[in-house]
Amino acid sequence: MVFSDSSVLLKGKYMSFEPKILGIACNWCTYTGADLAGTTRLQYPQNLRVVRVMCSSRINPSFIFRAFQLGADGVLVGGCHPGDCHYNTGNLYARRRLAVTKKILEFSGMEPGRFRVEWISASEGNKFAEVVTEFTEQIKNLGPQTKFKIVQ
Amino acid sequence: MATSFKQIEENLKNEARKLLEDGKVSLVLAYGRGYDEKHPVPFVAKIAADVESIVFNEYCTANMARYLVRYPRGTKMAVAVKPADSRAVVQLIQEDKVKREDVILLGIPVIGMKNSKTGEVIDSKTTCGLYNPVLYDVLLGEEIHGQPVVSPYDVLAQYEAMDKDARFAFWQKEFDKCIRCYACRKACPMCYCDPCFIDQNKPKWGEKSPQSHGNLMYHLTRFHHLAGRCIDCGECSRACPVDIPLYLFHKKVARECEEMFGQAAGKSIQDKPVLVNFRVDDSDKILE
Repeated sequence: MVFSDSSVLLKGKYMSFEPKILGIACNWCTYTGADLAGTTRLQYPQNLRVVRVMCSSRINPSFIFRAFQLGADGVLVGGCHPGDCHYNTGNLYARRRLAVTKKILEFSGMEPGRFRVEWISASEGNKFAEVVTEFTEQIKNLGPQTKFKIVQ
Repeated sequence: MATSFKQIEENLKNEARKLLEDGKVSLVLAYGRGYDEKHPVPFVAKIAADVESIVFNEYCTANMARYLVRYPRGTKMAVAVKPADSRAVVQLIQEDKVKREDVILLGIPVIGMKNSKTGEVIDSKTTCGLYNPVLYDVLLGEEIHGQPVVSPYDVLAQYEAMDKDARFAFWQKEFDKCIRCYACRKACPMCYCDPCFIDQNKPKWGEKSPQSHGNLMYHLTRFHHLAGRCIDCGECSRACPVDIPLYLFHKKVARECEEMFGQAAGKSIQDKPVLVNFRVDDSDKILE
């Protein structure tokens, strides 16, 4: 009999619950920031799976809904600080769009804490590690995400 | 005192006849008789003789702005608009789907429209609660004043008070009813994408047959696509054969957009839709 990884983890209840977190990082700031966190050998949880996009405004809100459906326990979006966007205005559009995404998730009944947007610049390796640690902790407290997850 | 529906119908016929005879427009979008009084259908008058078939009564709820985007750009059109419909036209002009000079708005101030399915009077609960069109070229009745001003968002209070699990259960129950007929999409004046994201196969955003996860994906994304654009006519919910209260979610998103960005959809043709616009001083608090 084959267990999916989440069912194995669920056996030990929440004690051994290791959340799957989707990180969507902007190429110019957050991804480089993550790189910096790596090269400076900062420790942060391994629960984050990072996907690199060219800009935070590249993120289609459906990516986030879809991630939750495919079993993500949390989604972390990282972009440049407003005003520092490589494409000048990308993250300013993204800010409005993702704010709406957050409200929609909230009104549909999803825990608001499962979705987070952070502005992390290329020089903020420390902040990246801190945010990931904090967010992972938060998702661990919330437990597995079951509301949107597709059950076969 | 509001003009009677009969009088509006007369005015609408006269105005449509005049426009078609003068050749100012090539078609007039209005309402025609369905299989009975209670079920008027959308109707397009193309020659002056068609005008005789135009009707207007309290059951003419359909949003005729829906049909503006179906004709090639540059077609001169006249459209009968109720208050919410006029906002839809304004929104379409903002999005550059129709040009202001191509469309003549025959504004209809209304009160006491009825839902033909339930017979209930449509008020601020399911629609935007305006009585007079925000933009018109010809007004087909007297403007309505002195009616109580009710916020269209009042109806949300009981849903916002629910805790998140109850809310999720509520929406799951509603979305599970969905049979994916796409009537909401077809009735909506702002849903003009071709192809719609849900019809795409690459990437395949969600299941196309009625299954609960595909329904969730379709509806949530549709709410997102209409964020800051929904003009709250409530036509999606009236078109729905299984009575999903889609208007509630649309109202919620519209209210959040209004609070966060300080602009309601379809109020002025000078505005830009909120999600294709930004301000450098938007607060980061909106993300919390």
